[in-house]
Amino acid sequence: MFTMGIDIGSSSSKVVILEDGVNIIAGEVIQIGTGSTGPKRVLNEALSKAGLKLEDMAKIIATGYGRSSVEEAHKQISEISCQAKGVFFLVPSAKLIIDIGGQDVKAIRLDSKGGVKQFFMNDKCAAGTGRFLDVMSRVLEVNLDEMAEYDARATEPATVSSTCTVFAESEVISQLSNGVAKENIIAGVHQSVASKACGLAYRCGVEEDIVMCGGVAKDLGVVRAISKELKKPVIVAPNPQITAALGAAIFAFEEVRGANK
Amino acid sequence: MSRIETIISELSSISNNPRKAMEDYKKETGKGSVGVMPYYAPEEIIHAAGFLPVGIWGGQKSISKARAYLPPFACSIMQSVMEMQLEGVYDDLEAVLFPVPCDTLKCLSQKWKGTSPVIVFTHPQNRKLEAANKFLAEEYRLVREKLETILNVKITDEALNQSIETYNENRKVMREFTDLAANYPQIIDPRIRHAIIKARFFMEKSKHTAMVKELNSELKSLPVEAFTGKKVVLTGIMAEPNEVLDILKDNGFAVVADDLAQESRLFRNDVPSGTDPLYRLAKWWQEFDGCSLATDAKKSRGPMLMEMVKGSKADAVVVCMMKFCDPEEFDYPIYYRQFEEAGIKSLFIEIDLETTSFEQTKTRVQSFSEML
Amino acid sequence: MTDTTAMSAKELLGFYQEELYEEARRAKKEGKLVCWSASVAPSEFCVAMDVAMIYPETHAAGIGARKGALDVLEVADEKGYNVDTCSYARVNLGYMELLKQEALTGITPEKLEKSPAARIPLPDFVITCNNICNTLLKWYENLAVELNIPCIIIDVPFNHTMPIPQYAKDYIAEQFKEAITQLEEICGKKFDYDKFLKVQEQTQRSVAQWNRIAALSSHKPSPLNGFDLFNYMALIVCARSKDYAEITFKKFADELEENLNKGIFAFKGNEQKRVTWEGIAVWPHLGHTFKGLKNLGNIMTGSAYPGLWNVSYTPGDMSSMAEAYTRIYINTCLDNKVKVLSDVISGGKCDGVIYHQNRSCKLMSFLNVETADILQKENGLPYVSFDGDQTDPRNFSPAQFDTRIQALDEMMKQNKEGVSNE
Repeated sequence: MFTMGIDIGSSSSKVVILEDGVNIIAGEVIQIGTGSTGPKRVLNEALSKAGLKLEDMAKIIATGYGRSSVEEAHKQISEISCQAKGVFFLVPSAKLIIDIGGQDVKAIRLDSKGGVKQFFMNDKCAAGTGRFLDVMSRVLEVNLDEMAEYDARATEPATVSSTCTVFAESEVISQLSNGVAKENIIAGVHQSVASKACGLAYRCGVEEDIVMCGGVAKDLGVVRAISKELKKPVIVAPNPQITAALGAAIFAFEEVRGANK
Repeated sequence: MSRIETIISELSSISNNPRKAMEDYKKETGKGSVGVMPYYAPEEIIHAAGFLPVGIWGGQKSISKARAYLPPFACSIMQSVMEMQLEGVYDDLEAVLFPVPCDTLKCLSQKWKGTSPVIVFTHPQNRKLEAANKFLAEEYRLVREKLETILNVKITDEALNQSIETYNENRKVMREFTDLAANYPQIIDPRIRHAIIKARFFMEKSKHTAMVKELNSELKSLPVEAFTGKKVVLTGIMAEPNEVLDILKDNGFAVVADDLAQESRLFRNDVPSGTDPLYRLAKWWQEFDGCSLATDAKKSRGPMLMEMVKGSKADAVVVCMMKFCDPEEFDYPIYYRQFEEAGIKSLFIEIDLETTSFEQTKTRVQSFSEML
Repeated sequence: MTDTTAMSAKELLGFYQEELYEEARRAKKEGKLVCWSASVAPSEFCVAMDVAMIYPETHAAGIGARKGALDVLEVADEKGYNVDTCSYARVNLGYMELLKQEALTGITPEKLEKSPAARIPLPDFVITCNNICNTLLKWYENLAVELNIPCIIIDVPFNHTMPIPQYAKDYIAEQFKEAITQLEEICGKKFDYDKFLKVQEQTQRSVAQWNRIAALSSHKPSPLNGFDLFNYMALIVCARSKDYAEITFKKFADELEENLNKGIFAFKGNEQKRVTWEGIAVWPHLGHTFKGLKNLGNIMTGSAYPGLWNVSYTPGDMSSMAEAYTRIYINTCLDNKVKVLSDVISGGKCDGVIYHQNRSCKLMSFLNVETADILQKENGLPYVSFDGDQTDPRNFSPAQFDTRIQALDEMMKQNKEGVSNE
């Protein structure tokens, strides 16, 4: 039995096709989000990858910022619940999830059954989100996927402490023109993102195992900075961008199975 | 339409159209309106003058002109009020009564961009002292004097005492309403509940009382249907705009009680009895507790909210945090910790009248409903 | 007993600031009472009761200036304090949380360990006054509840109409009586009214010397750089009811007068223009703001700050004391606020005005546009506004500040050359 989870975010669209609630037979990501052709394209990519048709899906659940506009979905569930479901499936020992996406940051506390116990989010400003890293990566002329390498070579992290992305941008430009090494500035940028995420984590209550997901989790520099701040190990969810779509697909499976009882 | 539907429709219409309410009042009585800024101003004095007290609560507006005078970090009520001042929206008001219980209001009271005369007064914050009552009664005496001059009427003690009774009657009926509404969430959904309460800002109080009284008795006659959703207590300054209330409804939430400055905080206490009306009005402020704007070194708001949750059998508290409201933001960490210790669940949503997209609120409310 | 007679004013400032913190630490050790107080709350009552005083705003400013604010701001953030609220409050509530953790667990949290702040003991009670803002009511409510201690409130209602009416002074004077009653209960001893009178007289002497210093910046060129006043401010806040402030200020005023007589000025011949700085200092970036202006030859000779502590009153007269504590310019209507600032600008013989739009302070930011407008119509002087914050280092952009003061400098030069700014 096949179920599908669709996660339409602000800057990316993800689809997971799940077989019998346990086998991930497709997990596709496309870097364009809601309001574009992205959702349709990634949906087709996932189906073609799995060699299936839309009709083969027993149930489809949508999540994410653009979830209400997914016509193909039978139901929509919030990305908080879906992240919890997806991460718990991948890491059953997870107690705290830190999800840093394109435009928001979330901390989600799980109970022993993987249900959501508490959550806090920053969804009103760019600081501490993927957008912040985008802006900095452009200013620094370093690709996003190279940021972690640079960070690893940092000798003394610069202070990039502004709460406002625009101010931070001008701070970074200032530091570049003062000859501060890019490695150190990037370490500072990562610390700045980490401190925003950790603030939310503390509000939730920090308990291991701590799992990171969301696009920004691919930047190991941020992961390291968060781990350093919390003084605890941080696990990066396997394929961290699709965890919410996975959660949605699992929810879909559970609902079909429940209905069949 | 049933009687209930008719009343709801009328009150909703009034709450959505203050301007028409003002015009109708003028047509009917020949008297104009006096604007009442938040919070806790003695409307009764205006009522005793025969004029219509009109609540000023801002609105959903895109802010552009106000930016010239107010940086972005002022709360959206004041941003939208300033925007409307600049558009001349308030210029038909005979006067504006302006309390200053927070720093933002202190500043705003000094820069009214409309043409109406502004009457400022200050609430005392060392409230439990008798000296505070004397001070406030004196402030109210000056308010009355200024209103008498501007409106060219005499406001007698007798008329004022009478108005206080009218307002107390309204308060009582409103308390009954909010209790009843908790049992009939299918009929009184969050948006309707709010509209019925908000209508009181644009109606002569006894008229509002009559309608709500009738509504109450109609509701009481109906059987209570089982409610399968979740019950919440709202706390904060206000739960607007309507989109927020609809999101609560769409996710199966019923508002069974509130601690909102725009709603129950205004009518959960009566003005106490007495002979000197200005003193009676002052004493209301002394007896009032549980609001971020009323200084309280014991911070009884948390325990009060927990009692409210217990009493209304609510499942959770929804914190409606007015963005950039310092007093509310200071209260939050204290009562939140108290909630956590008592095992009371709460959801934090941001209130911003300028918002045009409600996706974030939808996500939070939906996640919360999935959590409960 | 350290010999302070040969100390310069600067040395006295450093010495007494440390002395005040040491006194508080010693008091705690000896089981005596410690109070945390708002900066312009009446200090006379507590000092008359021999209570050791700590001033969280000054302490927070110090943390900001020593670049230690971020750590404690994070602690406040974790507790759920919104970044939109006053950073003095967040710094202090964050620091208090660390002290509390230490007291409860016996272990010193790392952030407390590495904080550059002066170590202070937790209070036995707090006293607050809202003459400089209502945020001080909320902040101190929270301190009282978090620490489960009494809170003395001196409420000075916003003066929407000037002059201050008698009934307002009566209300404040009644609160003074109530404060005394509360103190008697907290301290477990009777209030000594004779001592109180002496403390009031001492306060007046401190204020007189403080006013003496402030008046010196009206000289052109000026022997006093206004940024120095920001530093000496610590003692008018923390020690005005003791002789520490009087001694230090008298020394400083004497030194400045001597310099004046010898023709030694603050900018040593490089004084080009004179500016009024309206608002709190940007503590984490104090050096940058001072140097930026100094490099342009612009000396700050106008500030409303000295006036905040010009709490002149008649000792023994509670009504007079009440008036002194309520007439703070930001606790009055716009007309009065503008008048005070107008006097500051003309007294300082200023060529321009800098408005600090302080992200942390709504009371001092939301009337800046109107104030600037009214004043410019009155005196024709150019002004600029910049975005900053008193203690949160993240709300300031050095580049923006530099651009703005440069623009002001150019406008002031144009003005001097008679070219219109319109």
